[in-house]
Amino acid sequence: MNPRDRLRAVSRRVTDPAEVLAQEATERVVDLVVNALDVNELAARIDLNALLSRVDVDAIVKRVDVDALLDRVDLNALLARVDLKPVLDRVDVNDLVQQIDMDALIEKTDLGAVIASSSGGMAAEALDAVRSGAVGLDKFVDRWVRRVIRPKQPWPAAPSALLAVQAET
Amino acid sequence: MSTRPPQGTLVGYQGHYAGAVSRFAAYSIDLVASTVVFALVLAIISWGVRIVTGHDVNWNRSNIVVVIIYVLWQFLYFGYSWAVSGRTFGMALLGIRVVRADGAILPPKQGVLRALVFPLSFLLFGLGFIGILVQHEHRALHDLIAGSAVVYSWDARAAQLRFLARQAELPAAGSTSAGP
Repeated sequence: MNPRDRLRAVSRRVTDPAEVLAQEATERVVDLVVNALDVNELAARIDLNALLSRVDVDAIVKRVDVDALLDRVDLNALLARVDLKPVLDRVDVNDLVQQIDMDALIEKTDLGAVIASSSGGMAAEALDAVRSGAVGLDKFVDRWVRRVIRPKQPWPAAPSALLAVQAET
Repeated sequence: MSTRPPQGTLVGYQGHYAGAVSRFAAYSIDLVASTVVFALVLAIISWGVRIVTGHDVNWNRSNIVVVIIYVLWQFLYFGYSWAVSGRTFGMALLGIRVVRADGAILPPKQGVLRALVFPLSFLLFGLGFIGILVQHEHRALHDLIAGSAVVYSWDARAAQLRFLARQAELPAAGSTSAGP
């Protein structure tokens, strides 16, 4: 037998049990350290914001197959579990409605035709024309009178109570 | 030159003091309407008297009784309308109404008082009406005495929606009529 091989065999007989021993010792130490650690305390010390700022969320999201994910979600079951009332209670519907541009809505949708067909015919249109014509003449006369008498202070447009109502709306 | 304001601005005038043209037009309509109703009632009474008694009744405008009844009827027409709703038939057509000077709803008592003092504005060649033109709140003499004012009260918002609806309908109608 080659003396070098003999040396290797002896070395293996020593190192193999030592390796097993080292592994067992390591596992034992890790167990002891983990048991000794307060994970909550450790988590509290982690600056999640700093950690998250280093994460490229877009890249992660791009890797997610949203369609496949949604296919697995039963939306009906999900919605059935949602109590919409408290959600709706928190919504200011008046504020929401005020944000709607009604003029644009009527011009761009069939709502205009519905209003036109439901809210008075020729009589209403004739009244609108007479009234708006009269308001126009009122303002015309008023402008000329003010030009002639030149009031020192601007005239109030409406009674105080109605101005307040107008400001509220 | 067009004196008609753009449709969108009319909404902003709601609640503003009504001008001379609207008020004069409303009064003219009221005068015609109340006189027609008065004449109709007189005609019905004449017809009834002729049926019952066989005699013709001749209503003469120079007859003092007819004049007094006509004045009372005018007072009733305007007083009742202002006391109950703050507007007469003519005012309703023109979309204006009488309110208290501060803009609140006119109490019935003030409506009746306004009708009582209304003739005062006709004195001195209608000088009492000048206030509608030159007073800063467009109030005539009878308004100042009764503590009232006249404002625009028609639903300009609904009118604007109707206007927009018509505008939206016109192209739609054009496109359907242009079809084969």
